[in-house]
Amino acid sequence: MEQSYNPNPNAGFGGMNPGGPPPKNWLVESILVTLFCCLPFGIVGIVNAASVNSKYAAGDYAGAQQSSAAAGKWTKIGFFIGIGVGVLYAIAMFMGIGSGIMAGMAGRQY
Amino acid sequence: MPLRQPGRLLGLAGAGLLLGVVYFVFDPARYPFPRCPLNLLTGLYCPGCGSQRATYALLHGHVAQAAGLNLLAVASLPLLALGAADGIWAALTGRPRRAALLYRPWLAWLVAGLTVAFAVLRNLPGPLGSWLAP
Repeated sequence: MEQSYNPNPNAGFGGMNPGGPPPKNWLVESILVTLFCCLPFGIVGIVNAASVNSKYAAGDYAGAQQSSAAAGKWTKIGFFIGIGVGVLYAIAMFMGIGSGIMAGMAGRQY
Repeated sequence: MPLRQPGRLLGLAGAGLLLGVVYFVFDPARYPFPRCPLNLLTGLYCPGCGSQRATYALLHGHVAQAAGLNLLAVASLPLLALGAADGIWAALTGRPRRAALLYRPWLAWLVAGLTVAFAVLRNLPGPLGSWLAP
């Protein structure tokens, strides 16, 4: 792998993108949210992450920053809703409310 | 921020270790782990369904079983490992490294395309669908 901080040395003339290093693309974070928070928001994050890469490679630094903000927003929304659902689930289980749900889904475990 | 970043790194490492222990000890197929809200409401499989059981299988070295539960999670592992190494490097050196591979447009669009395709295919009937379903 190349040592450069600039993922695309051909972006812009002179080698460096005029805006500097790429804005955070949230790719790995949005993959994690997609896999573990079980909500469509993670996919929105991945698409925005890809958009960050494309726009940065094309030299559109402002656009890449916008996509970065959108990717971060959706990744965080997915993350906190995922955490919230997990906590609500734990509370429901603790209070015994979940026993009905569990009975309803017995046999669907696998 | 010479202190804040290593502190965050330690916090994340601690949380990761704790989750790792929980998923190593308790089999999500037998204990009441939080269920996917989307699956509970619609019956559909999202790209994340099966990831908890896959984590349990992976932590016990059962890669094939994990791939059967959630192929996308197993296929994402190298990328997630690279991202983790990238984050640790950035936290230790105090500067954003931005691993070049993670910023390639083709890679990110490949991930996006595969995720959407995975989400659709695992809900379809037939041998492919049932293989990709959790």
